Amino acid sequence: MSSGGRQPEVLERRIRIEPDGTVVALSGKIEFGQGIRTAFAQLVADELDVPIERVTVVLGDTAQVPFDVGTFGSRSVAQESPVLRRAAAFARTQLIARASETLRVPRERLSTADGFVCDGGMRVAYADLVRQRPLSGRIPDDVPARDPSERRYVGKPMPRLEARDIVTGRARYTADVRLPDMAYGVVVRPPVRGAAPRAVDDAAARAIAGVVAIVRHGDLVGVVAEREEQARAAADAFEVDWVVKRPAEGKRWTIPIREDAGVDEAIAGGATRLEASFSLPPITNAPIGPSAAVADVRADAATVYAGTQRPFGLREELATALGLDEQSVRVLPQLPSGTYGRNSSGDAPLEAAILSKYAGRPVHLQWTRAEEFAFAPTRPEAFLEVAAALDASGQIAAWRYDEHTNVHTGGGFDPRWGAEASGRNAEPHYRIPRARVVLHIEPTPLRTASFRSLAASENIFAIESFMDELAHASRQEPLAFRLRHIDDPRLRAVYELVAERSGWGHTRGERQGLGIAGTIYHGTYIAEVAEVEVDASGRVRLLAVWAAVDPGLTLNPDGVRNQIEGGIQQSASWTLFEELRRKDARIVTSGWETYPIATFRDAPGEIDVAVAGDASAASTGVGEPGAVPIAAAIANAVFVACGARIRELPLTPERVRRARDA
Amino acid sequence: MNFRLSVNGIERHVDVPRSTTLLSVLRNNLGLTGTRYGCGAGQCGACYVLADGRAVASCLTTVEQAASQAITTVEGLALGERLHPVQDAFIAEDAMQCGYCTSGMVMSAAALLERIPHPSEDDIRAALDMHLCRCGVYGRAIRAVKRAAEVGR
Ligand code: FES
Ligand code: FES
Repeated sequence: MSSGGRQPEVLERRIRIEPDGTVVALSGKIEFGQGIRTAFAQLVADELDVPIERVTVVLGDTAQVPFDVGTFGSRSVAQESPVLRRAAAFARTQLIARASETLRVPRERLSTADGFVCDGGMRVAYADLVRQRPLSGRIPDDVPARDPSERRYVGKPMPRLEARDIVTGRARYTADVRLPDMAYGVVVRPPVRGAAPRAVDDAAARAIAGVVAIVRHGDLVGVVAEREEQARAAADAFEVDWVVKRPAEGKRWTIPIREDAGVDEAIAGGATRLEASFSLPPITNAPIGPSAAVADVRADAATVYAGTQRPFGLREELATALGLDEQSVRVLPQLPSGTYGRNSSGDAPLEAAILSKYAGRPVHLQWTRAEEFAFAPTRPEAFLEVAAALDASGQIAAWRYDEHTNVHTGGGFDPRWGAEASGRNAEPHYRIPRARVVLHIEPTPLRTASFRSLAASENIFAIESFMDELAHASRQEPLAFRLRHIDDPRLRAVYELVAERSGWGHTRGERQGLGIAGTIYHGTYIAEVAEVEVDASGRVRLLAVWAAVDPGLTLNPDGVRNQIEGGIQQSASWTLFEELRRKDARIVTSGWETYPIATFRDAPGEIDVAVAGDASAASTGVGEPGAVPIAAAIANAVFVACGARIRELPLTPERVRRARDA
Repeated sequence: MNFRLSVNGIERHVDVPRSTTLLSVLRNNLGLTGTRYGCGAGQCGACYVLADGRAVASCLTTVEQAASQAITTVEGLALGERLHPVQDAFIAEDAMQCGYCTSGMVMSAAALLERIPHPSEDDIRAALDMHLCRCGVYGRAIRAVKRAAEVGR
């Protein structure tokens, strides 16, 4: 990336103190409902010793913040917190140094409180200390943090900073941006992604009142009008002869993740042998707010409002598409509808920018629900084959695992890190003497892009279901069977905690059952128990879920709970209901009626999340881990409730009935 | 065509074709962007507003239909700076993540409490069932509505 690389961290790009005493904290990370704005404000307020109301967190504005590769996974807080903490601590020491000069008092005598440096009764406001000379300078690596006992905000539950704006409707999402002289754009869609227009008849479209511009740019056909309805009517009036291009067949890759010798022999010679295969359909991120962008493109500069997780990457793409240099393009990330990874592809901003360039006016573009289903990238299908053998004592002796799936990110497979993404969590966190784990990247018809937890949910569905099968096959209690293969005390601890909270081991009512599953996801330890009821028709009802999570040092426990609950609720929806319908490369799902997701009626009666962070360990992400073990926990519970082992998602009533009544 | 609307207690005039949706008028004519577009088909609840106190999908309501009713949007739910108990409760329970679905949910919850001041959990689930939340805050939203019912207005 041209402007990129790791540049040394400098204070002026991290912390700014405004003349009115407001502290501006800057980060290239993006808020999309995971609460990072609040988390950052908390730690900056504590470290700099100002009331949190005086902290403004600017996220992702490419004109202000330091370069950032993007907000991926759930590691944003983990990666960014130490930097902001150091920046704020450094700012505080600078302020004390300046106050010591101003007040002619040795530094040791000075303290800080509420935005002032104080010496007994004398005090000087931060703002006054920076009026002549803004804070600046390289942030040292070793600025000491303040003592935890001096923290007022970190670690305390508090409402998200945006909460009031959200409940009053004042929060501004991308689609809410309104600019003077703004017009509305609509893209004319082909029957399937990747088609090229051979002939375009726009006569009828031009005749529609309010049309400002008809756009033809490469394969993009679009229209801009005064009102959204006019633009849409005009788009419908186009006659386009589309040539459907055959999508380039993706490359196949075979990536060994772990390869010990003698696995096949050990499996063949095991006392208990088992094999099974698991499959998951393609699913989609399905944000409630479809993709949107507002672009204001001028001859020599462009400003683009977008919900993006990689503002600098988007800036580069926009600059290339518009023929501008990167410095002339400003990306202003807005609050997006939650998109769970999807926003790392920048379709709508690029479309809006091109339409704006032709129209010569700011252009607002919002996809319809049908466009979102048909043209957004997806999570690819996965097929997991697993085999294992237990020795005479019931310990796993050998394990073989083949993951067949497509790339789990946008932009093709990169062998340098592809296994980390598409093969995420393919290697079990259990003590296994001999294992072979192989990732097979195989082309699938639909476009793929990042999706919450990447391949981990698929892999953990297979691994944790299979662990259950091994336990049952060898008459071992499923939790005890897992524990005897766990060396890591933190993983053991979350399993034990979730067992205690869920009343694991106590039998439930008729047709009910408990299932357990867990994992380590990017350093976050999590174990979950699902309680289900399976009715006569095979319908699975999720009654309750318990989770125990250890994300290391915890800044905001209720924020952690909210993220874990959300991950569980969403992933339960994938597990029970979701499957994208397609005909070859064409997605035929067009609305919520053909892609049902969990609703209020499906929500479990309780999701109990115990946050037991190891305070001596670094903070790790919580946006994704909650979503990872729940599919297996539910499937394992279904097995207990009705004896049906389901290895194929979603867990539809027909599948459950077929397996149960077989 | 000219229409006279009552939105959040204020009389507003718009000149749009009669088939224009209330959602479009709110967002694109009146600058009330708190009411959100999600599906345009009455399937997601993101666009809900109150029409004479009933929660309705503004994406399925035409400006002409709206003209004869008192419309309240999420921007008009609070009394000045004093939030509606449902709004307070959503904050207290942190019943939101991205918040895109929140305005619609809050409107339906407010309508529910007008109708049934002390709803059961089943009442709440039934009343909010058309509101999809992809972030998965259903459990917290249920708790928030219960909390608001306890506080009363
Ligand atoms: S936008 Fe009206 S119900 Fe979805
Ligand atoms: S909070 Fe994101 S859709 Fe409900």
